[in-house]
Amino acid sequence: MTSSSGAARKNLSKIACNRLQKELVEWQVNPPTGFKHKVTDNLQRWVVEVTGASGTLYANETYQLQVDFPENYPMEAPQVIFLHPAPLHPHIYSNGHICLDILYDSWSPAMTVSSIGISILSMLSSSTTKQRPEDNDRYVKNCRNGRSPKETRWWFHDDKV
Amino acid sequence: MGNEEEDEVVAEVEAVEAVYATDCVLLRSFPPHFHISLKPRTADVSSQQFVEAVLEIRASPQYPKEPPSVDLVDCKGLDEQRQKHLLNHIQSKACELSPCLMLVSLCEEAVEKLSAMNHPDGDCPLCLFPLVPEDLQSETLPFMKLMSCFHCFHSECIIRWWQWLQSSKVDSANTDSTPALRNQDNHKKMEDSVGNCPVCRKPFLAKDLDHVLALVGSYSSQMSLDSDEVNDELLQSEDEIIRRQKFEAILNLQKENSGLIEPKKDIVILPGMYLPQPVAVPSSMLTKESDEQQEKDPSAVVSGNGGGTSNATGPSSSRQRNSGARRQKARSDKHSSSTVRNPRKPVQQWVRRDDPSNKK
Ligand SMILES: [Zn+2]
Ligand SMILES: [Zn+2]
Repeated sequence: MTSSSGAARKNLSKIACNRLQKELVEWQVNPPTGFKHKVTDNLQRWVVEVTGASGTLYANETYQLQVDFPENYPMEAPQVIFLHPAPLHPHIYSNGHICLDILYDSWSPAMTVSSIGISILSMLSSSTTKQRPEDNDRYVKNCRNGRSPKETRWWFHDDKV
Repeated sequence: MGNEEEDEVVAEVEAVEAVYATDCVLLRSFPPHFHISLKPRTADVSSQQFVEAVLEIRASPQYPKEPPSVDLVDCKGLDEQRQKHLLNHIQSKACELSPCLMLVSLCEEAVEKLSAMNHPDGDCPLCLFPLVPEDLQSETLPFMKLMSCFHCFHSECIIRWWQWLQSSKVDSANTDSTPALRNQDNHKKMEDSVGNCPVCRKPFLAKDLDHVLALVGSYSSQMSLDSDEVNDELLQSEDEIIRRQKFEAILNLQKENSGLIEPKKDIVILPGMYLPQPVAVPSSMLTKESDEQQEKDPSAVVSGNGGGTSNATGPSSSRQRNSGARRQKARSDKHSSSTVRNPRKPVQQWVRRDDPSNKK
C-alpha cells in the first residue's frame, strides 16, 4: 500500500532536490552496509532494500523500505514505511508503519536516508522477539483510508527493543 | 641523583602550570599527570575559533627517558580523522623529543597543530555541500558555528532551518492549545528561544544566531525556500563581503605562518567582529511598548531585526514577532546603519501540510 495518497504531493523544492542528489551520489559511492538502493528515475521516492544483519533474528531476510520525500525535505522528515510484507517486529505495524522517533518528533535535518537506514537496521538487530506491536490491529484499522504514519500521534514504545 | 631528576621534572610541571594557568588541571606532579585544554592561537577571536581540544598527558616514573602517553579527553570541531591526526602527531613528537624534558614543547606542538587545523572541515550537515570550498575565491557560502558544540553550518542553511523551526512552533502552538493559552505559550517560547544543534542536539541559545540573522534581517521578508536572488543578495551584502574578506585574510595568515598569527597593521581583527554593537535601550521604553502599537506601526514590527527570527504571517504570530523583536532589541540593536526598514509585508514562506489532527 502507498499511504501518501492523502494530500497531493508537492514537488520537491530546489533545495530538497540538490540535497537529495547529493545524498544519492554519496550513497552510490559509500552505501550503508546491508542496504541497496533500487535505482529509479524518481528522486522523490526511493525504494531501498534492507537485509537483516547476520546473527540477528532477521539474518538473511530482505525487506523493502519506501522513502517518500516532502517538498521541504530535509526540514521535514521523509515518510518511511516498509513495503509488504513488513518484518515482524514489536515496533513495526503490519501495514509497514514504523514506530521510530527519528522519523517523526526527533527528526533532524542533519539526518540522511543513510542514517535513517542505519537506525532501522539497528532497531531490527536489537529485537528479541518476532511479533507485532500489541495495538497492531487497532492501529492498522485506523489507517485504512491511506493515512500516512507522519499523521499519527506517536507515543514511543520503550527503546529497549 | 634520582632526586635531582625528579626535581627537574617537578620544576617542568610547574612551568606548564605557569604557562597554561587554569587551562592546566594537574592530577599529579610526579610522575606528571595532567589535563590541558588547548585552543588555536586565533582563539581570542571567538568567531574565528573552530577547534579546541583537551589532552591528557601522563608520564611514568621513567619520564623523560620514556615518552609520556598522550590521549584526547575532549575536543570540539574535530572529526575522527582530524582527532587521530592530532594525536599521532603529538605522540610521535613525544618519541622524537625523548629523553629530553618535553611537556611544554608537547603542549606548544598541540597548539601549533590546532592552529593549522583551525577551520571548519567537511560538509555542511544540512545541505551536504562543503563548508569551505577548495577555491576560496569563488562565491563561497558563508558559514558559522554554534558556540556550544562548534558544529558548523552554512549561515544560510542554519537560518533557513531556524526559521522553519520557529514557524512550525507557531503552527503547533496554534493547533495544540486553546486560544486563551496560546499567546502566553508562544510568548514564553519566544522568550527563551533555545534550539538544539541539528547534529548533536546540544541546546544553543537563539542569540548564537544573532550575528547571522542580522545579515538576513533586511532580506527576511523575501526569504523563501529556494529563492536564488535572496541568496545572491545575502552573499553580496556588504557585511558578508567584509566578513568573508576577513576570514580569508585570517586563513591566509594562518597558512603563511602555519598557524601563528600576529596582527598585521592593515588588518584589524577584533573579537566578535561580526557581532553587532550593543546599544542600551532604556527599559522603560521597552515595557511601555504595547503590542497594539507595534501592530499598527509596520516600522516598529521590523525594527531590531526581529523580523529575521520569525517570519510567519497572521495575527496570531504578530505577538511572538514583537516579543522576539523586543527581546533582541533589548539585548543589542545591531548595525543600525544597515537596518533598512523593509515596509513590505512578510510573506509566508513555508507551506505546511494540513495537520490531520484538525480534520478529526
Ligand atoms: Zn549548507
Ligand atoms: Zn552540535
